[in-house]
This record gives sequence, structure tokens and C-alpha cells, in this order.
Amino acid sequence: MTTIHALPQRVRRTVGAGLLVALAYAGTALAGAYPPVTDARLAAAATDNGWLMFRRDYAGNSFAPFKQINTHNVMNLHLVWSYRSHLKQGYESTPIVNGQYLFITTPKDHLIALNAVTGKVLWKYVWPMPGVGFKTVCCDVVNRGVALYGNDVYMATLDNYVLALNATTGKVVWKRQLKPADVGYAMTLAPMILKGMVIVGESGGEYGARDFIQALNAKTGALLWRRWTTAAPGHLGGNTWPKGMYEHGGGSAWITGTYDPSTDTLFWGVGNPAPWLAKLRPGLNLFTDSLLALHPRSGKIKWYYQYTPHDTWDYDGVNTPVITTLRYRGTTYRAIVHADRNGWFYAINRLNGKLIYARPFTRATSVAGFKNGVPYTNNALRPAMNKQVFTCPSFLGGKNWWPISVDPLTHLAYVPTIHTCMTMKGAPTFYHPGLPYLGESFQVVHDPADRHWGALQAINIDTGRQVWNHESNLPWDAGAMSTAGGVVFSGSARGHLYAFDARTGRVLWRSAQLSSGVIAPPSTFMVNGKQYVAILAGWGGGTPIWGGKMVPVLKNIPRGGHLYVFALR
Amino acid sequence: MRTVRAVLVLSLSLAAWGIPRGQAGIPALYTLAQARSGHRAYEHKCAACHGKQEQGLVGPALRGPIFASPKANYKVRDIFLFLSVNMPAYAPGSLTPKQYVDIMSFLLRQNGFPPGKTALTDAMASTSAVPLLYHGRLQSPTRHARAGGGCGQRPSASRSGVHPPPPHCKRLVAVLPGASVHSSAD
Repeated sequence: MTTIHALPQRVRRTVGAGLLVALAYAGTALAGAYPPVTDARLAAAATDNGWLMFRRDYAGNSFAPFKQINTHNVMNLHLVWSYRSHLKQGYESTPIVNGQYLFITTPKDHLIALNAVTGKVLWKYVWPMPGVGFKTVCCDVVNRGVALYGNDVYMATLDNYVLALNATTGKVVWKRQLKPADVGYAMTLAPMILKGMVIVGESGGEYGARDFIQALNAKTGALLWRRWTTAAPGHLGGNTWPKGMYEHGGGSAWITGTYDPSTDTLFWGVGNPAPWLAKLRPGLNLFTDSLLALHPRSGKIKWYYQYTPHDTWDYDGVNTPVITTLRYRGTTYRAIVHADRNGWFYAINRLNGKLIYARPFTRATSVAGFKNGVPYTNNALRPAMNKQVFTCPSFLGGKNWWPISVDPLTHLAYVPTIHTCMTMKGAPTFYHPGLPYLGESFQVVHDPADRHWGALQAINIDTGRQVWNHESNLPWDAGAMSTAGGVVFSGSARGHLYAFDARTGRVLWRSAQLSSGVIAPPSTFMVNGKQYVAILAGWGGGTPIWGGKMVPVLKNIPRGGHLYVFALR
Repeated sequence: MRTVRAVLVLSLSLAAWGIPRGQAGIPALYTLAQARSGHRAYEHKCAACHGKQEQGLVGPALRGPIFASPKANYKVRDIFLFLSVNMPAYAPGSLTPKQYVDIMSFLLRQNGFPPGKTALTDAMASTSAVPLLYHGRLQSPTRHARAGGGCGQRPSASRSGVHPPPPHCKRLVAVLPGASVHSSAD
């Protein structure tokens, strides 16, 4: 087996954090003028030559209009350059590209700017966290990348800072801490830029944090609005919690949302309630496990849809709500499609929050079905003290955060999937800042009906039904990207970048084995008329920590980060 | 200074409770044999996530002034409850009660609690209201002290205070064309 390690030295670069060099050479000397990122460019990000935001555009499709790399020539991809990082934790950052500037983040919030064509490091910023214990970071010390606006680049940090840095020099322009570190809160998501605001969401559903979505002024860092995700008494949803429990009710908002300009609506997903054991907090526990439709200028709620009512299985509703248009049973809908942790694929009317359809995309027994568009659960599968249940999917989800891609040409959604179930039982717990707040014990096991741990599958968004399925012996923990060239890209745990035929799922190309497994989404961009595909390898994240019976089969995957950039020969 | 004050308060409290005390009035909650056994169990069951030196990796550090800080206000029972119910994360509750108690003993030792003659039991660990504070590094029965100072190290601590990481660890690093680089922390 050829590995990327064996490729010529000239395309490999190893750069460390320990060297301080004066900033005499700004990025502009090495990558040309930096094209400012305007509101107009962000609004048209889908057709930009770069990759300007987390899921490429506000709709979150992760679909690029480029055709240079296509089904006929993708097998001619070769490595142009790579960059190595030696931190041993997980790499979940999408490479963000503007002009010839490419930005990645690493575990523990290092931000690196590179020349997108040559791989030359322009600058590197290591966010200092000297007094931080990472005590309330559940699932590896990851960072999912940056946002761009004007001449600045934005990063959210594990100790709850939002940072703005100059994109060409790496100098900090402003910083703002939203919450102290180690008391329940952390941030791992890529920020979103919208209407001059930088918008982020807090994690902490496993530690009894009361989470929120926060908008700041992108130029100054001033706080603009905060949307708490657990409802207080006297507010919409405030009567869905026992007295006072919303204050430590979780509802993390740890994945970047999407934006619909046609209705001026910001969509953001909300995570699990705390503690996990639902019997301790009777009620629907709004707005946990929900999709929020928000006024972007105020954060006020237009409507909400709860994917899992009164969750006790840790089915965060944070996975990307993708904005699309679909035709279901003869009617055209302006829709949201979303593959949930609870194992159901949802299509929701984005004008009013009404369910269009929902179908399971993996074995799903906890949420048993839908009545009048509202999900209901199998109450026999709710754990309690002295009651152990077996249900599917596991708390890791039918898929975890790894984003789907929706191809407007094929009308297919490409969905990373894991086939797991779990045992779960009630356990004692109490709230203490900085400690886990679960109230359940559990173990992830194999879905007894499926011999594979994972898959990348294509689902027809007009029907909710599977069209093709690429099964994997290992879990499929990486995001997906599709292109107008008819190719779907995604990486495997074993460490290959795959190119699939978007319509059939046939494997058109597979890279040589990368230095580690892939848990990050890929991106693609054009510079000087040439199309590139970028992917970070770097195994880690939640699966190797909480993966139960999966963990032994994953333990030999090498650690360490490596950014690879491919192009046609 | 805060640590000294905390030890003083703790010593007075323990005297009233009748808990055996070691050097500097720090309670002796476990035996050396338990800590040694716990060390072996830790290396098999915990080190993959928390690091071989308990320094933190994908999971948090379990040793030192940031983990066992007065601000965190952990009691021994708080950590033991989560340890024994939800750890190891890939197979929660799968260890024997003895293994959990031994691992707790090892963590106490790594946070500067001295060994004593009375063994820690599951019941004692489950109910212990002793504050889990870092009391400095004891000489390890199975491990030599390690030199610090790299960027990947947590701030080191002693009775005289917390030592921050070297200043080069916390700032922008620009890499110039052709410059030689190294990779100590990344």
C-alpha cells in the first residue's frame, strides 16, 4: 500500500509552534493582495472561486460549481503540497480559502495561514491558554475552522473567546471572552459572518451549562444579542422545564448554522438537554434538540422544530440544517433538510417549520414515529435508575456532526453514517460547575442488523429514500462535499480521500493512504484557473473516546494532523 | 499562598474528623500499594485519553494545580463518582470496584496526597468530602520526575506558586521563507 508518507519530500512541510519570528514579512509578500471579503461576496459565496465559509455558502450545501475535476478525470488527481502538524488530537477544520490565502485551525486553537497554491506558511497563531484545564470539553480539544470578513479572520476558542485577527499578518484585532473556561462552556465551532456580525454558539451540554447563540459586532467585538437555548420562565417554552432546571439545562449550539436570505432567517441547531437522564427533568425541555429559526438582527425566535422531544439519549439536534428546494409528492417546498443524531432524515418547510417528511437513514428505535408532523418516542426505551435499555442509534448518532452535502443537480444528500446502538442505564449525578452532568451510564455497540460500522450514503431529498450506499468497515466520520463535476468527496477513517460518482456512488478514485484518518470536511477552490481539493487528515474527535465497542478497531489509527491539497496532473 | 491557606484550613478540619494526616497535614487516604496498582490500571484504561503522565490529551489533565484547584472546588467523592460510573469512556463501569479505588488512589498520589496505612475503600471514596487540591508532586514510586518547560506542558506548580509556561509558547509565530523551523509543541 502506497502511503502519502512515501511521496517526494518537496511536497511535505513540517512546521512547528515553538519558533517566534518577527513579522517583517506579511502574508501579502507571499500570497499577493488579500481580496477583502464583503457582504456581497459572502452572499454569492456559492459561486466564489474560493471557499469563504464553513459549508461554502449560507445555504450549507457544500456544493461547488467547479467542473474542472470531474467524473472523467478525477482519477488523475495528485498531491500538490501538504502541511504537517504534530498535535496528536483530532483535526476537524474545513480549509477556508480566499484568493491565495488558505486558513486552517488545529486542535487547541492554533490558526495557520498558508499560500493555497504552494503550501508556504504565511503566518501561524497559537492561542495561549495557560490556565485552562479543558475540563469541560467533552469530545477532544478540536476546532472546526474560521470565518472571513473584510480583512479579518475569526476563530472561536475552547476557553470561550471570539478572536478577530488580521488575515495577512495574524495580528489580533480584537478578542472577547463570552464565558470563563472550565466551568461548563467551550467553543469548537467555526464562526459565521452575517450582516456585519460574527455569530457563534457555545458547547456544554454534558456539563450543565446553559448554552446560547451569540452575535457580536464583527468590527469591534461588541456583544449584540444572545439567544439562550433553554427557555426561562415567562418566555416561549419556559413552561417545559421543572423549576430552575433550565439554568443548567444544556442545549449546546456547537455547529455553525445556515441563513436563508429569501426569508431573512438564521437557522441554528440546538443540542441535548442536561442532565442526560430525562426522568430528572420532566417536560419537553425546549429548545433542546431543536432547529431554531431566528431573526438575524435580534436573535428572536420565529419558529422552532424539536427533533427529539424530552431527549434522554443525547441526540443533539445540531447537525447542519441545509437550505434547499425539493419536490415531495407533487408539491414544491422551500425546505430545510437535516440528518439528525436520532437517525431520522428530516425535510422541514423553511417558511413555517412544518414537517414535510421524515425517514430513518439508519436503525432508529428511540424516536418511534411521527404524529401530525411531531415526533414521538418509544417510552419503553427510556432508561431509568435500575433500568437498562438497548436502543438505536447510540448517543453518537446515526451520524454525528460530520456535515452532509446536498447536490442541487442530482437532488441527492450525501450523508456520513454510523451503524451503532447502545445500552443505557440511569446513574446518580449532581450539578457542580466543571464536572460532567449526565446521570446515565452507557456503552456503544454494533447495530446487530448491520455488519459495518459506517457508510456514506446518498438520499434523494425529494423522497427521503436511499439511492446509493458505500459501506465501510470503520465508522464514516468525515464531512461530505459535492461538485458540478459530478463528484462527491469525503475521507475515511482508514485515511483515504475518496471521490465517488455523485449519481451512482461508484468509487472513481481513492487517494494513497494519508498519514491519519479523516474526520474533517474537504473543500475545493480555484486559483489562476486551476481547481484544487483540500482535506485535513488527523484522527480523533468523539468516536475514539466514547465509541465503546468501536474503540478497539480504531486504536491503531495513527495520530497527528496533515493538510493535503490535490489537483489534476 | 492560596494553597498554603487551603492546606491550613484542611488540616484543622481533618483533625476534627479524625482522618489520618501525612506531611504538611495533607490527608493520607490510601496506601502505596493501592497507588501502585492504580498506576498500572491507569496506564491500561485511562492513559490513551488523559495521557501517560496524566497531563491531558483528548481528555483533560488529571494532575496539577489547574485540575485540582481551589476554584474547581472538587471533593474526592465528586471525582470518584464520575470515575466509577462513566469511565473509561469507551466502557463505562466496566472495571472492578477495586480497580476504580486503586485508580482514585493513584490520582490522589499524583496530586500530592501522601500514602498512609489505611486503605481507601469504595465507600470511603464515594463519600469523602476531602477537597481534591493539588499539593505538589510527590516522588513517584514508579516514575521519575519529568523535566518541564516545553510549550506542551501544563504550567508547573510548587508550594511557592504556579509557574507559567515559557513566554515563547503564547504568541504569533510567523514562518519566513527558507527559515528553519522546529516542532516542539505542534
